[in-house]
Amino acid sequence: MKVSMTVNGKGVERDVEPRMLLVHFLREELDMTGTKIGCDTSQCGACTVHLDGKALKSCTMLAVQADGADITTIEGLANGDLHVMQESFWENHGLQCGYCTPGMIMSTTALVQDNPNMSEGEIRHQLEGNLCRCTGYHNIVKAVQQASEKMGGGD
Amino acid sequence: MAIGKSKFRIDAPGKVTGETLYPADIDRENFIHAKVVFSNKPHARMKRMDLSAAEAVTGVLGIFTAADVPVNEYGLTMFDQPVMVGVNATGRSKVPSDVSRWEGDQVAVVVAETPEAAQAAAEKIQIEWEDLPLVHDVWDGLKDDVLVHPEAGTNAFKHYVIRKGAMDDGWAAADVIIEGRYEVPHQEHAYLQPEAAISYVDEMGRITIEIGGQWTHEDQEQVAHALDMPAEDIRIIYPAIGGAFGGREDMSLQIVMALASWKLYQKGETRPIRSQWSREESIIGHHKRHRAVVTTRWGATKDGKITAVEADVYLDAGAYNYTSNKVLGNFHLCVAGPYEIPNARIDSYAIYTTTVPGGAFRGFGAPQGAFAAESQMNKLADALGIDPLELRLMNCLHDESIAITQTPMPAGVSIRQVVEDCASASQWHQPLADAEPFQAFQSLAADKSNIRRGRGIACAYKNVGFSFGFPERCEAKIELYGSVEIERAVLYHSAAEVGQGTHTALRQMTAEALAIDYDKIEMVLSDTAFTGDSGSVSASRMTFMAGNAIKGAAERALEAWQNEDRPAVGQIRFTPRSTDMIDDVTGKGDANISYGYVAEVVELSVDIETGHIHIERVVCADDVGHAINPNLVVGQIEGAIVQAYGYAVTENLRVVDGRILNPRLSTYLIPGIKDIPLQVDSVLVEVPDPQGPWGARGMAEMPFIPLAPAIAAALHDATDVWFDKIPLTPENVIRTLRDNEKTS
Ligand code: FES
Ligand code: FES
Repeated sequence: MKVSMTVNGKGVERDVEPRMLLVHFLREELDMTGTKIGCDTSQCGACTVHLDGKALKSCTMLAVQADGADITTIEGLANGDLHVMQESFWENHGLQCGYCTPGMIMSTTALVQDNPNMSEGEIRHQLEGNLCRCTGYHNIVKAVQQASEKMGGGD
Repeated sequence: MAIGKSKFRIDAPGKVTGETLYPADIDRENFIHAKVVFSNKPHARMKRMDLSAAEAVTGVLGIFTAADVPVNEYGLTMFDQPVMVGVNATGRSKVPSDVSRWEGDQVAVVVAETPEAAQAAAEKIQIEWEDLPLVHDVWDGLKDDVLVHPEAGTNAFKHYVIRKGAMDDGWAAADVIIEGRYEVPHQEHAYLQPEAAISYVDEMGRITIEIGGQWTHEDQEQVAHALDMPAEDIRIIYPAIGGAFGGREDMSLQIVMALASWKLYQKGETRPIRSQWSREESIIGHHKRHRAVVTTRWGATKDGKITAVEADVYLDAGAYNYTSNKVLGNFHLCVAGPYEIPNARIDSYAIYTTTVPGGAFRGFGAPQGAFAAESQMNKLADALGIDPLELRLMNCLHDESIAITQTPMPAGVSIRQVVEDCASASQWHQPLADAEPFQAFQSLAADKSNIRRGRGIACAYKNVGFSFGFPERCEAKIELYGSVEIERAVLYHSAAEVGQGTHTALRQMTAEALAIDYDKIEMVLSDTAFTGDSGSVSASRMTFMAGNAIKGAAERALEAWQNEDRPAVGQIRFTPRSTDMIDDVTGKGDANISYGYVAEVVELSVDIETGHIHIERVVCADDVGHAINPNLVVGQIEGAIVQAYGYAVTENLRVVDGRILNPRLSTYLIPGIKDIPLQVDSVLVEVPDPQGPWGARGMAEMPFIPLAPAIAAALHDATDVWFDKIPLTPENVIRTLRDNEKTS
């Protein structure tokens, strides 16, 4: 089936199997491997991307369902310089092995855009869908708090 | 100074932008695809295998089985496992090839043009099996009615003893005796990156595997052994690795992918092969933290001196040894805790069963031992009416102590200090304030009358380094470039970056050892074609061993620099003093060169109606000797505590009739962000290890170890009930509380 969408600002068109998942489309068809796969059951959030500005686990959607959509992946988040959230994960040691990191960053950037004044409790509540086995999450929360301040929260 | 500072991670930029390549991300032209086929038989003998239908599937390039493996055996410390289970093996292995001993035994690797073709062919492999009786657990195993490895003569294939002092005297001197039986479960590593690898023959003709592992040179040796080739014909490269925690210490795809590439290369097929496991394959296909049972008795005088410890340890090794014999050794020493014990009798057994093998996992036997030892200490304190903190201070090891192995403790024993620092940071001597009631369920209002609050303490020690006579080594090479001044330095090292931050620490230590700018250090890492044997990232050893190796290499490189060599090169293979295997009859032996020490206090609330536990605060005091990078150290503490929380509370691997029933992240629950302790206070204690580089000690496992017994102690404080079995899932908490009502 034909599918076309915008990925990181560029139009792409491919002929794909109807059952191909969006995450496989990104990784296998477009060779954009920043988006990770950590599970088979939509638990881990490593595959999170933005679809029309909203965070979405790209293993929960078929590529053909994203026809016409505007997708942003971790590769498309920075605009030359690192995105504030990327910088904040780096500076706050919000990652260890880094495998959850693209998904964490995509989830949290969408979150902070929608809701720049989250409390620590709200951040924890909102990140329930992203697993990390390494950091124990505390530095991730710190990174999100710092980034949301810089992104204009708190005013 | 380049050390002692919280430098940002050098691998972070690639990881936050998605540029970093993990094995499944490597883009080569023209991949072909491999699929590993599991036996799906917990215990059965293969009678016949028919590949014809599978080979006829369009796109299949080759199917390789036991018959293709030159020496069909592997194992990190004992060759007790076939690379693949199958018929028509070469006969050059010590272990019989035709028996599947767990459901994850590999029987074939299929290579095809597409993953779909490989999968389709895998489903068409026809195997005739003769089922054999199962060995479900350690009790079944101990009967020896059915032998998992008949060639070993018994299922209880490893037995360690401790015979110290005179037990009769110990019991006679005791005013109080506490008996306990403790059960600890399997734990799945659940590193977020499932196993994946690529393999090819490189331009020098070396069979090359790019994979996530923990010890490049051990992978190389295992592949070389099975393929009956010199090690230098095998090349192992570690790209970025998505977590490990001990779970990548054994082989997953290494040998079978090497075999497939080698066989296909001989047929003129030179395209690289790629393979990746699903989460389910990862959970079924690799080892776990060992489940175990401990029965134990401790005696003490009424003023709190321990007089005797007796323990029997039953470790479920599963189908193969992996590192069970080594894990058992640590367990054996840790089951007596970091205390002076005048009289001890300990017998520890590793027992084969037809279940998933146990192996390395952060703590390596110490968490299991500490759960029993620390629970016993807390019960003794309760029975004696002595503060559990004080009881620890009265008995803990110090520099002049004789260890449980009847040899002097290595200098730098700091258990007293970590316990004291933990107590003061946690305000142990202040009464515990009431907490807000937590809501077990979001849709039901919290009922304050069901909430009980408690606080508990536990401490622990664990060896740093390989120990028990296993040869330690760590190589490093440094090249210095420039003319008058050193303009840049290159470190060659194999340390696996599994997320712990070792590459950042290596760079800091290299800058420090050379006394040059951190930014002038370049590194060539984790590729057996260029970097020497570093030993594994395990046993909390890498900072300790690599730091010493880097110091030695730097010294030599600087000497060469003085002698006007350009580039100036320094290279060493660092070996610390050797260790002993403990004696078979007495358990005496100098088993360890260094230990890490840790103490934790847990404050929690429990809902006695729903069984939910809510941890408000964990205070962890960990002696790290000298924090090379304090923020990385704190990251290790916070990560270890959350993993240990999973072990103690949420993670519940269900193994029935030799099968894992919940191999998914939807049914095997690792902690999410809402489960974690609200607050973790890390206290970095810095008592230098005299042998450590700049005094640094191994630390990454330690914070895991005392958490489960500290939680059990806090639950007792809250409910007056002892919890001797983990995980403390809501059902298990409720059941234990109810059972206790019945008996009391
Ligand atoms: S891959 Fe785990 S949620 Fe999508
Ligand atoms: S950093 Fe490893 S899973 Fe999050």
